[in-house]
Amino acid sequence: MALTLTCPICGKRNGYEFRYGGEEKGPRPEEEGMTPESWCEYVHLNECKAGVQEEWWFHRDGCGSWFKTFRDTTTNLEQPTPAREE
Amino acid sequence: MFGKSKPMWGERKKLKSSYDVVLIGGGLHSLATAYYLAKEQGITDVAIIEKNYIGYGGAGRNTAIVRANQRTQYNVPLYKEALDLWPVLTKELDYNLMFNNCGNLNLMHSEAAMKAARMTIATAQFHGVESHLIDAKEAKELVPALNISEDITYPIHGAMFHPPGGVVRHDAVVWGLAKGAAKLGVHIHQQTEATGINTRNGKVTGVVTDKGTINCKQVLVSAGGYSASLIHGFLGIKLPISVLTIQAMVTQPLKPLLNHVVSSGAYHCYANQTLKGEIATGAHMDQWPNYTTLNTAHYIKHQAEALSEFLPALRGLRFMRIWGGLADMTPDMAPIMDGNEQIEGFFMDCGWGYFGFKSCSAVGKYMAQFMATNECPDMLRPFNLKRYQEHKLMGETAALVNYTPDN
Ligand SMILES: Cc1cc2nc3c(=O)[nH]c(=O)nc-3n(C[C@H](O)[C@H](O)[C@H](O)COP(=O)(O)OP(=O)(O)OC[C@H]3O[C@@H](n4cnc5c(N)ncnc54)[C@H](O)[C@@H]3O)c2cc1C
Ligand SMILES: [Zn+2]
Repeated sequence: MALTLTCPICGKRNGYEFRYGGEEKGPRPEEEGMTPESWCEYVHLNECKAGVQEEWWFHRDGCGSWFKTFRDTTTNLEQPTPAREE
Repeated sequence: MFGKSKPMWGERKKLKSSYDVVLIGGGLHSLATAYYLAKEQGITDVAIIEKNYIGYGGAGRNTAIVRANQRTQYNVPLYKEALDLWPVLTKELDYNLMFNNCGNLNLMHSEAAMKAARMTIATAQFHGVESHLIDAKEAKELVPALNISEDITYPIHGAMFHPPGGVVRHDAVVWGLAKGAAKLGVHIHQQTEATGINTRNGKVTGVVTDKGTINCKQVLVSAGGYSASLIHGFLGIKLPISVLTIQAMVTQPLKPLLNHVVSSGAYHCYANQTLKGEIATGAHMDQWPNYTTLNTAHYIKHQAEALSEFLPALRGLRFMRIWGGLADMTPDMAPIMDGNEQIEGFFMDCGWGYFGFKSCSAVGKYMAQFMATNECPDMLRPFNLKRYQEHKLMGETAALVNYTPDN
């Protein structure tokens, strides 16, 4: 199915303008005390969610910004940001 | 769903509350593992749990290509054994798997690619696999329809020719293995979804399904594209996998014109002519993870452009059917086969990307041995999960984490 994504600067655009940047995995591990395990986890390991996940995208053929969005991987549809619990 | 006709792998069995071994997924790898567990290891108290119907996943959607000309010393022997098994299984299962060893031709479009092919060929030859480099003219002699002129996007410099490869009827493999396994006592439970794996004190105790819990000491997850999501959901184990939809299509039938499997990395396109005369062709993967298994206009266009450049005789042809399936890609484009390491009795066989058909026969044999003896066979040892932390990536390709047409 055709993918559309909403760039925070350019608005809704054709998905082929973007490059997928991976699952949102929290902050990059500190260099201090970093182990092969923690780096491997950050670089390679995924949850592979069949459902809604938070992820990074890059507007390659547009304004060049990186942003995060929620997408349902079973439909390719963008999802509203879930309300955060206080 | 299947009307009143009897499945050829026998009567529907009642789901028992306990089995020695439960295999999650009714694809090629589970079916082959079940078959060899029963046939070679004497373990027949085995259940295959399949959410939809056997062959629903990659098993029934792949483009049926088999070959043993991989890149690394670990992969080639495994795929060689798998390739050698097709005629053996055809006899053993008493089922025509329609192995057509028409040979594979990998087109090379630059001097750098020719050099990479030389290394791949050297590995293949070292392992006794027939594979050699040919120039563009020789490629044209093998496939007269090939366009070897200079005025296409990626002119052909030569090719890697691998005569023992070809195609096998993928559905026949599913049905043949199911029949063979069932005959030896394996229970195949379709329309039964695994929803969890129970463990106690670091050991597997059972599998939860939508039809009830099954007690067992060993479980194999070989659920194709869904494996990574299930393993994370059931056991909290994350894998270095990205799941992408991969698309394929067939054209209307033609007179015989393509008597080898032809593939091109630069065009991201491969094709072969089926016995019915259709050109079956596969495209590259979607550029972002998804489980949709849907086709996109982007790839239909891409496929039409690629094919009509290097096989111009196909210009104006119509695609007759299109479909998609899932490819679970690892960073080194080699699978993950592991077990007993994370949790006692838990085994996984996944990360097959778009190579899981050609490997299934040999993998089933070794996974069965692994599960029966609790000892990882040497053949599977390099494919463990730890290699990603130990900087022992396979180098099956110099792949990046994201699989897009521009890398
Ligand atoms: C378009 C396409 C072309 C390909 N071309 C080739 C090729 O030419 N050559 C080649 O070697 N390989 C090819 N492949 C790859 C190959 O098809 C796969 O690697 C292979 O099918 C994987 O086998 P499997 O048994 O591990 O999984 P699958 O065959 O995918 O089977 C997994 C099964 O698990 C079931 N399942 C999922 N979740 C659950 C659950 N919770 N409970 C129970 N069951 C579940 C699914 O319904 C499915 O039937 C291609 C794949 C695609 C999609
Ligand atoms: Zn933008």
